[in-house]
Amino acid sequence: MTREAAVVGAGIADFGTLYHRSTDDLIEEVYLAAVDSVDRGLDRSAIETGWFGTFDIAGDATSGLGLAHPTGLFDIPITRVENACATGSTAFRNAVLEVKSGAADVAVVVGVEKMHDDPEGLIGRTVRKQLWRRRGMSMPAFFGLRAQRHMHEYGTTREQIAAVSVKNHENGSKYPHAHQQFTCDVEEVLASPTVSDPLTLYDCCPVTDGAAAVVVAAEDVVEAYTDNPVWVAGSGLSSDSALRNNDSLVGFPATQHAAEDAYAEAGIEPSDLDVAEVHDCFTITELITYEDLGLCERGAGGEFVEEGRSHLDGEVPVNPSGGLLSKGHPIGATGVAQIVEIYEQLRGEAGPVQVADDPGVGLQHNIGLGRNATGSVSCVNVLTSDPPT
Amino acid sequence: MRTPPHWRDRRQNTQLAARKCGGCGFVSFPERQRICKRCGRREDWVDVTLQRHGVVQSYVIQRTLPDEFETPLPFAVVDLPQDGDSGGDPGRVYGILTETDPTDLEIGTRVVADFRRMYDVDGVPIHSFKFSIPRGDR
Repeated sequence: MTREAAVVGAGIADFGTLYHRSTDDLIEEVYLAAVDSVDRGLDRSAIETGWFGTFDIAGDATSGLGLAHPTGLFDIPITRVENACATGSTAFRNAVLEVKSGAADVAVVVGVEKMHDDPEGLIGRTVRKQLWRRRGMSMPAFFGLRAQRHMHEYGTTREQIAAVSVKNHENGSKYPHAHQQFTCDVEEVLASPTVSDPLTLYDCCPVTDGAAAVVVAAEDVVEAYTDNPVWVAGSGLSSDSALRNNDSLVGFPATQHAAEDAYAEAGIEPSDLDVAEVHDCFTITELITYEDLGLCERGAGGEFVEEGRSHLDGEVPVNPSGGLLSKGHPIGATGVAQIVEIYEQLRGEAGPVQVADDPGVGLQHNIGLGRNATGSVSCVNVLTSDPPT
Repeated sequence: MRTPPHWRDRRQNTQLAARKCGGCGFVSFPERQRICKRCGRREDWVDVTLQRHGVVQSYVIQRTLPDEFETPLPFAVVDLPQDGDSGGDPGRVYGILTETDPTDLEIGTRVVADFRRMYDVDGVPIHSFKFSIPRGDR
């Protein structure tokens, strides 16, 4: 790369069941919030490119126009990105790459999803028409298969898996933008209605509307915007198919490869991480992701959470914002919202969920299903408070 | 939902027709593209048929699904050996189970694929395999 890039502004809407708000309403709110958050201000004319992440479940934001329209950014290139549940993080990654390439000095990234505006619903539609050739395999089944196998191979307990939900709801209850702000204990997770045995309702993220935005600036111009930028030190993006007969029943090779690339570019080891926002669409997903990211040994994810090592006061706090399980998972917005949280954490502005001791290295991760639930795609971004060397 | 995808996959669905990579031995099912997903070699495939009996690698019992699906609906990942197998890779097959008591199902359970009517698409019946525990094993 020719130069570095940093996040200099961030905005997020309160996530929730937002029947009263449109896609455009949400985009406008987070775009203005991100622009207004820039320490020394950001003039609209400085924005040279836009990256727009949405799965477009509501069907009203198919192209770059979906971002241009509510923001008035008609005269710049805007690209819509869809990359399953890694949509938001891939849009962010591409904005960073464009800025690093020298093609643009300042980029805006907006992720949005109106999950409730599709009467049939993404989940129902996908189960009926797509997932594994219409046999009724659901997203909870895809991840439930992994929970079952992880318990079988490593002795992971059902209670350890539930502990992820307990932790994330605890964090989310303190995070102002979270959708589901309640706390629960292990017994309540196990007693909640069964979705795809062994996973219960509280093992699954809710259906949530939301949006988030960030501003990315090149190192050449960053001083014009802030003294406290958050640098994008590394990024990785990778895919995998379960039909390759690899170890994808207990791990996600896509995450392993994406993390490897992001760590190498950033010049860090997993042990350097101070905070992480990872993809917990289901409890088991976060537990396996600890292992894929190298936060612990393969098979040790259950003990890792049970011992509190990923808790807000643990050695690597994971999902201080409550994660997808509590904050919610508006698909296109999810990855961008995670970047917003890491940005605030590294600037020491995360309020009630601020990680102690001035975290300096943060990670953001998404994993999504694709191809009839036979494959996955993963994006990992590493952010730092010190400029990359 | 339209019928062509099912028509294209009919041999795989009804005969458990798979292909083995001449380079690395990877068994591709139900995909029949030219490039091997494991080793990247192309145009080097041998047709193989999978055995109907195989072993559950993992499973879930789906209890919450859209209305048109009967629940509980067990769903499993099953490794089916190649027919006349001399020790090569099995095919890894995803499928639903029928006539199965969920409490009988474990990782390692032996199941058999039977040819069943799956559902209709615009009035056209779609047939494929479903797994169950062989009668003698119950």
